[in-house]
Amino acid sequence: MTDVTLSPGKAVAAVKRPTGASIGPRWSNALFVAPYLVFYVVLLVYPLFKGIWMSMLQSDMFDNTSKYAGMANYHRLFNDKIFIGTVWNTVWFVVMTVPVFVAIGLLLALALNSSDRTAAVLRAIFFGTSVLSVTIVTIIWKMMYMPGNGAIASIFKLLGLEPVAFVTSSSLALVAIAICTIWWIIGLPMMLFLAALQQIPGELYEAAALDNASRWRSFWSITLPSIRRTMLVVVIYEIVAQFQLFGQAQLLTQGGPNNASRPIVLFIYEQGFRSWNLGYAAAASEILFLIMAVAALAQFFVSRKRVEE
Amino acid sequence: MRKLTTALLASLVVTAGASAALAADKTEISVARFFGACEADYGTVTDVTKANGECGIITALINKFNADSKTTVVKPEIVEWPGYDQLTARIRSGEPPVISVMHEAVISDYSSRGLLEPLDDDFAKAGVDVNDMTDAARQGVTKDGKIYAMPFDTHTWLWHINMNLFKQAGLVDSAGKPILPKSTDELMKQAQQFKEKTGKPYFISTLANETAFYTRTFDTLLYQQNVDFFADPNKVNFSSPEAKNALQLLADIFSKDLTTKNQDYAASVSSFAAGEGGVFICGTWLIDTYDQEAKKSGALANGYAVTAFPQIYPGSPRVWADGHSWVLLKQDLTDAQRASAIEFMKFLWDNNYEWSRTGHLPIRKSIINSDQFKNLPHRGDIASLAVNGTALPSAVKRQFSIQEIEGEEVGSAMRGDKPVDQALTDAESRINELLANAK
Repeated sequence: MTDVTLSPGKAVAAVKRPTGASIGPRWSNALFVAPYLVFYVVLLVYPLFKGIWMSMLQSDMFDNTSKYAGMANYHRLFNDKIFIGTVWNTVWFVVMTVPVFVAIGLLLALALNSSDRTAAVLRAIFFGTSVLSVTIVTIIWKMMYMPGNGAIASIFKLLGLEPVAFVTSSSLALVAIAICTIWWIIGLPMMLFLAALQQIPGELYEAAALDNASRWRSFWSITLPSIRRTMLVVVIYEIVAQFQLFGQAQLLTQGGPNNASRPIVLFIYEQGFRSWNLGYAAAASEILFLIMAVAALAQFFVSRKRVEE
Repeated sequence: MRKLTTALLASLVVTAGASAALAADKTEISVARFFGACEADYGTVTDVTKANGECGIITALINKFNADSKTTVVKPEIVEWPGYDQLTARIRSGEPPVISVMHEAVISDYSSRGLLEPLDDDFAKAGVDVNDMTDAARQGVTKDGKIYAMPFDTHTWLWHINMNLFKQAGLVDSAGKPILPKSTDELMKQAQQFKEKTGKPYFISTLANETAFYTRTFDTLLYQQNVDFFADPNKVNFSSPEAKNALQLLADIFSKDLTTKNQDYAASVSSFAAGEGGVFICGTWLIDTYDQEAKKSGALANGYAVTAFPQIYPGSPRVWADGHSWVLLKQDLTDAQRASAIEFMKFLWDNNYEWSRTGHLPIRKSIINSDQFKNLPHRGDIASLAVNGTALPSAVKRQFSIQEIEGEEVGSAMRGDKPVDQALTDAESRINELLANAK
């Protein structure tokens, strides 16, 4: 080994010259995230702020002379019985569908969590509906719900019962849309739960079996805690997705009868594209955004707290 | 053999090249329309006289135009009725069709924003005699003193009648004509009698998934009572006893099971053809379809009649009306495209008689007064519609949105989801709110 004597100045220079990872920010790394950031800003952040600004304008679809209206659009919205009705309809729809998505999705996943051929075929069948477009789905369900010759009416008649008018009844129209929606996209929660179930180590179940744990006990103490995070993902995803109900309502009931099945997005669409009130439609969009954010965040914090406990 | 093959190949190349050159010489224009799609039946038909129904006739008309025109190819773009959401989106994104079909009730919304081309000069150059337009048609397409569309028809609301069931119900007179109500009491009595004798509802109505029935029938019942509910074009007035009478009548028809209750448009159209009710309140456009149906064996066999909406209030025989027309969307068109668009409109003008075979009223005086038109089936029974058809005042903005709201509220009351008074108040406040914010 050779002793090296360094002057103080040289010693400082040696410290400044690191041999491993660089210290401090390296701005060239930003290039890796730049493409994502650009699209995120252009497609999400900019429209978000543009929407907020538009909601404060009295703006017509084809008129370039929008004028500032402050909170007038929001004030009008809170006094609009139709809009208030759409908020309740949408919340009710989310309450009806999200728990069912979780419950049926999990049940299907548990039932089909096996490697045999029948389970594979059934998984494909249950997921198959998710690839259909909303137009096809609503045509199928129109045929199901038709009061005269529809499939459900025929079953009712076969049983000697009076057919129920699902889509023309103000108390059943939203339920009819919920059933159609669940049938349509139950495949995704099922797949997410299946993926989570397959991550659970088999040793846990073997240990439980050695301890003579019942199936219910295994489910409650092993399965459920293991898939809690997936359940959170499914719940938040479905809350966000179902608050955006549109196509099914537009095509099955057009929001009727008596505003009983009109969701917020259909209201926004009608105000924007039919009445050409862009400012008013934008204000309704911001309210929807707030409701969705609050609902998803509330669910996130509640679930995270439980997980931590 | 080799020479023959070479000759065949050469002739094939020459033919293909010539066809391509011919097609390339023609100017293509897009025409957005509703009226349905029926390419399977009429995709190659160029003899318009062989086509029936709205879809068949418009398809054959476009086929014939494409076959005859030396300069233009029309590319039809079929949209779902009424198609204004799509049209609005296309205009906003700068991709409008060259020509679009448009109800006369909505022209002013687009023309007032400079989205349509005025056509007076083009029509004069093309030889379209605007003085030959019927009054209803000319008023319908004229906004602020300019003509903004080629009118295509005037259509109204009327009663399609199943005479076979009417006979069974004892509602046919000695001359073989249907016995129709002259008052609301008679209407309820005859409808009840019909139901008892046939076991079927008197009316077939399109009550599901669209609002047209509610609005058009309600407007007609108001017109019959001489109610001018748009005396001020910026404010609707439904707070009259007459409006309440009309809505209560519809609610009574529904609650007493005198109509079918849950059918959408397609279901109600086929339900009438299948003989599931006596009267189908719908538009002029189904006359030809049902007339053809009556020539076949079935529930309507030799038993179809049509009549103007019977006057059941002692005010006026006026009835809801509107018109289809063709507009030229404002955009950067070449001279050739504009000339082609006008050529196509002139073709439709020249062939307006063919379109009137659907059941719609023609828009040319020379056709409406012709024996050829008068000799079409049932036209004598509905001649009064040409004078009694009434549209909303053209100064009323957002007429389609208004009709949607009105229909929704009328429907709520008719179906018993809302009290009559509440529905009228809500309809009035919603429409007035819309108009107050409409530019």
